[in-house]
Amino acid sequence: MAVAIFSTMIVLLLFGFPMMIPLIIGAFIGFYTLFGGLGQLETMVQQMMAGIRPASLIAVPMFIFAADIMTRGQSAGRLIDMVMSFVGHLRGGLAISTAAACTMFGAVSGSTQATVVAVGSPLRPRMLKAGYNDSFVLALIVNSSDIAFLIPPSIGMIIYGVVSNTSISELFIAGVGPGLLILLLFSIYSWIYAVRNKVPTEEKVPWGQRLTAMRKALWPLGFPVIIIGGIYGGIFSPTEAAAACVLYAVFLEMVVFRELDLRGLYNTAKSTGLITAVVFILIAAGAAFSWVISFAQIPHQILSGIGIDQMGQIGVLVVISIAFFIGCMFVDPIVVILILVPIFAPVVENVGLDPVLVGTIITLQVAIGSATPPFGCDIFTAIAVFKRPYIEVVRGTPPFIVILLGVSAALIFFPQIALFLRDLAFR
Amino acid sequence: MPKQHHESQPQSQTDTTSVDDIQTDDYRSELPGILGSIDMGISRLESILLATGVLLMAINTISNVIGRFVFQSSIFFSEELNRVLVILITFAGISYAARHGRHIRMSAIYDAMPSSARKPLMIGITLVTAVFMLGLAWYSTQYIMTLYGRGRVLPSLQIPVWLIYVWAPVGFFMTGLQYILTAIKNMLEKDIYLSTNVLEGYDDDEIEV
Amino acid sequence: ETWRYAFEEALDEVQGVFAQKFKEEVEANSDHTVQLFPYGTLGESADIMEQAQSGILQFVDQSPGFTGSLIPEAQVFFVPYLLPQDEEDLFEFFRTSVAVNEMFPELYADQGLELLTMFPEGEVCMTTKEPVTSPEDLNEVKFRVMTNPLLVESYQAFGATPTPLPWGEVYGGLQTNIIQGQENPMFFIESTKMYEVTDYITCAGHNNFTTAVMANKDFFDGLPDEDQLMIESAIDVAFEHILEYQQGLHEESIEKIKEAKPEMTINILSEEERQPFKDAAATVEEAFIEMTGESGKEILDQMKEDLNQVTN
Ligand code: NA
Ligand code: NA
Repeated sequence: MAVAIFSTMIVLLLFGFPMMIPLIIGAFIGFYTLFGGLGQLETMVQQMMAGIRPASLIAVPMFIFAADIMTRGQSAGRLIDMVMSFVGHLRGGLAISTAAACTMFGAVSGSTQATVVAVGSPLRPRMLKAGYNDSFVLALIVNSSDIAFLIPPSIGMIIYGVVSNTSISELFIAGVGPGLLILLLFSIYSWIYAVRNKVPTEEKVPWGQRLTAMRKALWPLGFPVIIIGGIYGGIFSPTEAAAACVLYAVFLEMVVFRELDLRGLYNTAKSTGLITAVVFILIAAGAAFSWVISFAQIPHQILSGIGIDQMGQIGVLVVISIAFFIGCMFVDPIVVILILVPIFAPVVENVGLDPVLVGTIITLQVAIGSATPPFGCDIFTAIAVFKRPYIEVVRGTPPFIVILLGVSAALIFFPQIALFLRDLAFR
Repeated sequence: MPKQHHESQPQSQTDTTSVDDIQTDDYRSELPGILGSIDMGISRLESILLATGVLLMAINTISNVIGRFVFQSSIFFSEELNRVLVILITFAGISYAARHGRHIRMSAIYDAMPSSARKPLMIGITLVTAVFMLGLAWYSTQYIMTLYGRGRVLPSLQIPVWLIYVWAPVGFFMTGLQYILTAIKNMLEKDIYLSTNVLEGYDDDEIEV
Repeated sequence: ETWRYAFEEALDEVQGVFAQKFKEEVEANSDHTVQLFPYGTLGESADIMEQAQSGILQFVDQSPGFTGSLIPEAQVFFVPYLLPQDEEDLFEFFRTSVAVNEMFPELYADQGLELLTMFPEGEVCMTTKEPVTSPEDLNEVKFRVMTNPLLVESYQAFGATPTPLPWGEVYGGLQTNIIQGQENPMFFIESTKMYEVTDYITCAGHNNFTTAVMANKDFFDGLPDEDQLMIESAIDVAFEHILEYQQGLHEESIEKIKEAKPEMTINILSEEERQPFKDAAATVEEAFIEMTGESGKEILDQMKEDLNQVTN
């Protein structure tokens, strides 16, 4: 059944069906086969509704909304002008700033999709203007956003910690090293890209103008203050921070800068709703599909056949990496963690692997999977928000995937990348 | 950006705006007479639900923070209200997205085909999509009726759970209808349409570099 | 035949241990096999409940706190200080209670469910950032509770600011201080690492987390007598197993927490310290009766009588 489902889905996808259809038909085939007919399709609907239920998903429309208001108005432009006054004269400066901004924003907001929108939408036009190629820009935004999975707070790590009975604090600290390493490698790649493609640099800005740019960005600098200060100061959850940003953006653009009228606000809300719907229906369909995979115990069947019990530590880590990588290509990361972690738990214990290391590696695979074709929620989001064809969004991805897989391999052979900080703090 | 069929000029692009304005006023129903008016009314309603859904979600979430932080009292139904709004936005939105050809698809192979092959393929795609949307409309209705029979309520709002799902079958049905209309449009006209109003193809000069 | 059984916790938590024992018994005494689906693998609590009602799942474990939205009377288990605080009394109560063993099965049957058993999962304790010895200490403390009206009522009565927060955000919320407390059984505090982000654990004896195992009624009624008996005896074995497993689980979890975080303070409140909490809780009972009417009152009265039987 698994083979039939996956191949049907890929074919439908390639022939240009709306992407919800391969997922819906995949789930449908599963329900039809499992229950011998149409009798239990209500449960398929139930799982679609369950897919868009998590309260944390609210952050996505809220950050889309805030980012859209900022980009339509002056806030985003002023912030970027300020950043450019400092890095515009450096090769790859804007790209590296974008990667860093995605990492930081993603780390705090806890939502990679929100990051794609909130950081991507103001910065993408500026990068295109600066001479970067769109497929590079899109891949950079999507992949840098996914570093957020590794930097605390990380919902993936919390779920892993609970399911595997592992210290969440230790996981959080262990993720920082690999996360920063990936950011560093992305920055180096951005620099190489800028040099090779002769992306022009701007003239170095004197300090006087930099101060002017900073003064102009004073109001919009409230956004990072709200997000970082609000979340770490215990005023609100990441989801609520998103709504607070909406409020602040409305205040800036309607009251301070007077760029936006009520009509504009209404239209922004409408287009936010549209993007949300287009992404959420895919999350809904994906949830129904995940349920089928879980109910039919397909992962158990596949994994029981490969003899993982006879493998050593490295072998087990490689199998875990591959399993999560492939799983996250098709299924929601949280569900993958919930299903696969208990299956691997006994093996991990038998070969004496450090569960914190395993958790870090799994989280990294989850990050990669979310940015990887065919079904990655961050790819959906980028397509919906930037309105570029699927193929263009993923065309620039390979170098990033190579870096991410390289870091995965490095983690397997040099666990200290993850465990160094943990040992420093806890051992 | 998909070309709007009824515009002679390409839509103006402000280069800092990542998200487009779809002007509801631009949507022209392909249906004749009274049916057309109903269709346009529904389109208008969908866009109103989308916008107010998002605005209410923001107000609701912010009010909860203010309540908790300033008045030491959380709004207990805040999360449940957001669930209602998410479902409303999603299902008003999928039909609205279908009207405007905005559903995400991977068109690499499709785009490489000659238009003689693309036309029947597009008709096939829209019909298959319509069948599944209408099927889901039916089964989500069944699901709502089952929930109605069981009588489960939301813990905080204490309203029946089935109420929050009512927009789902409507959204699926309207989406299915849009895809049927698109299939018919493709059978009748020479060009290839993504939706009744939108011709296929991405506009490559979206951003002036 | 393959039977499917879903529950609300991980495989190595209390509901999972019960399910594993049940599976072991069924498979040893029949040709049937049981597939287990832990938390989240088939959806959340409400989802697996619906799937059991529609017959996709044969067995489901759902705690009455969640079932309260379907069967309001089930919320009786959230009335504070109703269940005995002594372990032996508590176990005896679940074995003999007329409310649990006769009245609730009828209510569940109306929802297409065969109630197989109810069992306690452990005393609920609070984890907080500051010490709690009286309701005054909970003043202005934003306390995360499940979205259940009676729980909200309880913590309001205790003087806290009950704050709903999705489970996924609780750990982060405690870390960043959006909330300053939450409650759960000790094994769950240990396994979900709540102690990492709080400094005090306070046991006031106000509740013992209760859960229930059910079968789809049509499925169960359609089974031959010998299978029904086999299931019932497997449930009995698992029930006794889980009571035994629980003796000492509370203490064992405390030890694990102490080992992981020696500076953690664990406070078992004395009788005198508990009294103001008990006094405050009286209003919750009224709220329960108001919410559930005559039938709720009947259950409540019966439970009190059952408890009298046990303690006297
Ligand atoms: Na993060
Ligand atoms: Na993916």
